Amino acid sequence: MDRRKFVKLCAGGAAMLAAGLRAAQAKDFTDFPRVRLTDAAGAPLKAAALTGEQAYVFHYPFRSLPCFLIDLGKAAAGPQNMKAEWGEYAWPGGAGPGKNLVAYVAVCSHQLSYPDKDGSEIRYAAGKSALAGKSGMIVCCAHDSVFDPAAGANRLHGEAEYPLAAVRIEHDAADDGLYATGLAGVELAERFFRVHKRRLIVEYGPGVYREPVGEVAPAIPFDKYTASASNC
Amino acid sequence: MSNHLNRRDFMKMSGAAVVGGAAAVTGCATAGGGATATGSIGVKAALPGAKGPRLVIVGGGTSGLTIAKYAKKEYPKFDVVLVEKRDMYSSCFSSNLWYAGLVNLEFLADHSFLDAARNNHYIYFNATVTGLDRTSRTLATSEGDISYDFLVIAPGISYDYGRIGVKDPEAIDALRTIYPGGFISPTEHVTIRRKVQEMEGGVFVQTVPSGNYRCLPAPYERACMIASHIKKHRIKGKVLVLDANPEITIKKDGFHAAFDELYKGIVEYKPGSAITGVDLGNKMLKTEFDSYHFDDAAIYPGVRASTLIEHLGLADPKSPQKEALISQLKYNVIGDERVYVTGDSRPHPYSKSANTANSEGKYVAKVLAARAQGRDINWYSPRTVCYSMVNAEPAEAISVDAGYILDKTGQAIGGFSPDTKLFEKRDAAKGKGTLEWARGMYREMFEA
Repeated sequence: MDRRKFVKLCAGGAAMLAAGLRAAQAKDFTDFPRVRLTDAAGAPLKAAALTGEQAYVFHYPFRSLPCFLIDLGKAAAGPQNMKAEWGEYAWPGGAGPGKNLVAYVAVCSHQLSYPDKDGSEIRYAAGKSALAGKSGMIVCCAHDSVFDPAAGANRLHGEAEYPLAAVRIEHDAADDGLYATGLAGVELAERFFRVHKRRLIVEYGPGVYREPVGEVAPAIPFDKYTASASNC
Repeated sequence: MSNHLNRRDFMKMSGAAVVGGAAAVTGCATAGGGATATGSIGVKAALPGAKGPRLVIVGGGTSGLTIAKYAKKEYPKFDVVLVEKRDMYSSCFSSNLWYAGLVNLEFLADHSFLDAARNNHYIYFNATVTGLDRTSRTLATSEGDISYDFLVIAPGISYDYGRIGVKDPEAIDALRTIYPGGFISPTEHVTIRRKVQEMEGGVFVQTVPSGNYRCLPAPYERACMIASHIKKHRIKGKVLVLDANPEITIKKDGFHAAFDELYKGIVEYKPGSAITGVDLGNKMLKTEFDSYHFDDAAIYPGVRASTLIEHLGLADPKSPQKEALISQLKYNVIGDERVYVTGDSRPHPYSKSANTANSEGKYVAKVLAARAQGRDINWYSPRTVCYSMVNAEPAEAISVDAGYILDKTGQAIGGFSPDTKLFEKRDAAKGKGTLEWARGMYREMFEA
């Protein structure tokens, strides 16, 4: 997929193209269609219903791109300046009334490990993980990288050099609902599709894996989403 | 479940490198010698003209592939040429898993040099290196001469049969052919895979060399994989591990637990059993005090830097493993900042493993990019993240995550970093991790 087709796919239309190019210059998040997060049954997900014990997996803004929604159980201050491989951006901090809700693309920035139905090397460890030596970290056991979800998923340890790509989420105070609205790291999604293309075609079908996720995105508890999690 | 590697553990790997730091001051007979490129076939290699400073990389293993990709990323002006003698890739890492059927040959070999070159914007040149003239900066190959601005030589290891008391070329050839070590070329892996599948009983010997051999845990892992196969198929056979070292060299608690708990009566472990000779006719391996009969074997002799390092005049005469005489911090040949040696021919007391070569390769790519622009960067440690599968039914593994620190001179590697961790309690999660670790490495080397 070339860049033009990719950006078109992201949203279509001139405004979105401009946003995509702005992201390519790495100044900001790229806007994507606002998508409501739901539970597994399709009912709107309420922030109050989240537990901080594990991450929730949803796909956004494309059908195959896995993301973690995490209730940190504490406020995550923002904005914070982040430096990724593709440039710099301002991570807005936690969303929700307690600024405790964050979301990231669940694809390791190192060698692109991601959760699938069979297993996951990357996980949010609410409790203390042996690798990180502290609680509340995202760890990827494929090559032992640690990211801090309370700080824009900044890399703390390991072979990864850069943070995880960030998903912008929005909390609707009126109904306690949650929405995903944008992504910092379109380049990572592009790389994810390229690198995992063969697997994604098998799992989703040719072309399907990169289609927009649609109106809603179910957020599934991590332990229900994947059969086996890493434990480093 | 983690504990730390200590200095004694580290010294197991550093025996070969003790003189490395000192060598920097003693100098080298070959440095700046202006050798002639013997081995030139007298024509220029058929390559496109260089569009920037030409970085030639010899060896398409983990080190070479990583440096080719990341040097170009770090400094896009580099015109990168990867010289590789193989026309088909197959990884040495993860090959043990094949013996127990946890992966297949496609897992190891479904990775194209052409795709790696295309995805990462360099040239894959299928040729064998035959000589080097550092004065005119010319690399001679079987397909012609290549001029370079910077040269990285990452040819891996060669076997040293002298270390197990075998010096007769006929005996070496027989050992190499009939009982291959399985730590260099894919054809060795294919042979060992066949041996395992054809096993009907008897004693299979796996030897473990002394020194800083390639992939410290691998002989023990292989013993586990073969034992797992024996157990599953109820074969009346066993694996005899003859270890030149006084103890399992890394992750010993995890391996001992596997030997004792999973393979009682199947794996027999004999430490302090350095091979001193081989009687091929009677199928006997000799150690200082004993001899052992074998029905079949994978004989891992000693390890040294690739013979290419010696042929090109880059070996440290004081190195017991004939490793290159280079700066431990910057990897350049002493006195020549145009030529670098990386990967398992390096003299560092690092683990000779894929993860280390990959991690180190990214650092060396930064060194090269900086130097091509008249700058330099500060040293930082590579990481050694290394899984070992100890059970195949089901897949369960143990692992280590190590870093390194400099010694007091600040010019050589002094030990493991304090954040080094061992994960020696085997489980299925790490079994899956072992496979994903490898997939990540393939993505790293072959994808953009």
